[in-house]
Amino acid sequence: MKNEYIPYPAVIEEVRKETFDTTTFRVRFKDKAFAENFQYKQGQFMEISVFGAGEAPISITSSPSKKGFLEFTIRAAGKVTKGIHNLKKGDSLYLRGPYGNSFPFEEIKGKNIYFIAGGIGLAPLRSLINMVFDNRKDFKHIKLLYGAKTPEELCFKDELEAWKKVPDTEVWLTVDKSCDGWGCRVGVVTELWKDTHVHPENAVAIVCGPPIMIKFAVIELQKSGFKDKDIIMTLERYMKCGIGKCGHCNIGEKFVCVDGPVFNYEQVEQLPHKEGVF
Amino acid sequence: MNLALPNRGAGYRRERKGWVKIKIIEKKDIKNLLKEAVKEWSVYAPQKNLGGDVWFDALPKQAAELDRALDNIVLEDTDTLISSKDIFFPQLESCFEFNDGKIHETVESSPKLLFGIRPCDLKGLLFSDDFYKRNFEDKYYLSRIENRFIVVKGCIKPPRSACFCASAKTGPFADKGYDLQLVETPDSYLIETGSRKGEDFIKKYKKFFKDCPAGADKTISQIKKIACESIELKVDFQKVLEMMSKDDFVPEENYKRIGERCIYCGGCLYVCPTCTCFNVFDNFKDKAGERMRNWDACVFEGYTRETSGHNPRKEKWQRASRRYEHKLKYDYKLTGMSGCVGCGRCLSSCPVDIGMSKFIQEITEKRKTM
Repeated sequence: MKNEYIPYPAVIEEVRKETFDTTTFRVRFKDKAFAENFQYKQGQFMEISVFGAGEAPISITSSPSKKGFLEFTIRAAGKVTKGIHNLKKGDSLYLRGPYGNSFPFEEIKGKNIYFIAGGIGLAPLRSLINMVFDNRKDFKHIKLLYGAKTPEELCFKDELEAWKKVPDTEVWLTVDKSCDGWGCRVGVVTELWKDTHVHPENAVAIVCGPPIMIKFAVIELQKSGFKDKDIIMTLERYMKCGIGKCGHCNIGEKFVCVDGPVFNYEQVEQLPHKEGVF
Repeated sequence: MNLALPNRGAGYRRERKGWVKIKIIEKKDIKNLLKEAVKEWSVYAPQKNLGGDVWFDALPKQAAELDRALDNIVLEDTDTLISSKDIFFPQLESCFEFNDGKIHETVESSPKLLFGIRPCDLKGLLFSDDFYKRNFEDKYYLSRIENRFIVVKGCIKPPRSACFCASAKTGPFADKGYDLQLVETPDSYLIETGSRKGEDFIKKYKKFFKDCPAGADKTISQIKKIACESIELKVDFQKVLEMMSKDDFVPEENYKRIGERCIYCGGCLYVCPTCTCFNVFDNFKDKAGERMRNWDACVFEGYTRETSGHNPRKEKWQRASRRYEHKLKYDYKLTGMSGCVGCGRCLSSCPVDIGMSKFIQEITEKRKTM
């Protein structure tokens, strides 16, 4: 019987600072054959261990279309994520997974896609975004609506510039607090509805961000005419085991770690809201 | 769910048709039987401790200690404070050790003989077996149950006034899932065999077991009937399952009132035979340490609190409702079995007198009970 709780050793091969508290780590499994055969899907997560600090579920931000390595964009927030931030290129960490379901890919081909993200919520979306760009001709118009607290706190700044240049692609940014030279909007993500037309026809919206942002993004999307099943989100939940055993991420009879983290809003509506979905 | 019956073959089917005779063991022979059994198994039995409480504990292997422990075995209908779940899902356990980046898995799989567990606790074990096999397999739990032999002791009188197994149809005698079941009479136990393994056990230790005089099956039915009638607490269990299966059936006010009364000690979840939630953490010193897990409880404020401080179940009543909905609604919806086995421990352990049976009465009888 496989022991699902045992993590596999990996090495950090690149460290990229995104913001003052957020860093992207590129890691590779130490076992060459294992690294090459390792497969995951957009939207899945891994359990990352730093021995001594513990283990935490972190979404994979790299695209499955790029093989051999994994990328995680991590904000130093708790014991484990701070432990990861103390590591440098060449250091080891330990991974198990991938876990959870994934964002639809085949099903959304031929559609207009709205990516709506807040703060570090762009990290799990980035996996799908880059996968979509690697197959750009299969998709229609793409819009990214992205908000952060300050311009400094926008993640993936180089990629945001690169994505803007892709044909039929728009990137709209907003921040809560601007600074000198900020040429974009100031306000919450839903303020971006004033800058660009959000239209439900042949479209899906894929949302990730803090609970309050998801809540208001859904309201705006519904107002714009999006059907609940076309609003897709990845839910955040305190999680330990990642495999449907420890119980922490349960909502109703669902485990966010196994049945999610990706749900459409039709499914979210069926969860018992008294247990707190957001 | 055939874990307790892994050798279910032709022989077993014959037994079910009644080919295997009911056996009998004298009460005075139990100690000697267990003395033999500890040579092969880790034997767990209910024992009175220094404080006078009865715990389901392992028998020591050394002769002197074993004799003392055997004297403390209590098979009468006494309350075992917590269920036997901790034999397979310990309150605190090591998952693996790590030393300078090397991982050493700690998995335990010794053969275990559970002697004298109650039918409700058997049901709890079978329920947990199923849970730990679902989705991903939990190697720690499943290794511990690999070689498990279960001797159930049916309850003649309910050990707790809060027992409601007859309503939940989980007792006072087990109908399946055991290897052997003891039916108490004044000087002896009549023994029902529930599996091929049970039959083999009786053959192996045959010097302790005798054939029963004719009519033993009638005696057993009579004893079971009286035992069932002796359980005073009755609730409409099937009705609550049906009512709960309707979405949002229980009015929020009920949960809010219970939420105000609960003191969030987690006691009910610790004593519950089917509560399986755990926390994971590292013990660490000088590059070496252990990944541990320990029992956790959904009533605790930190259970769903995220690193950011955001807590989707920050209101007390949201956490109070989770326990009832999980056991009576979601478990039933997902598995067709209730997560409550009617042992009544949640009520008997509760400092503020809240418990599952009261909740069921409140819902089905539409009256305030707590």
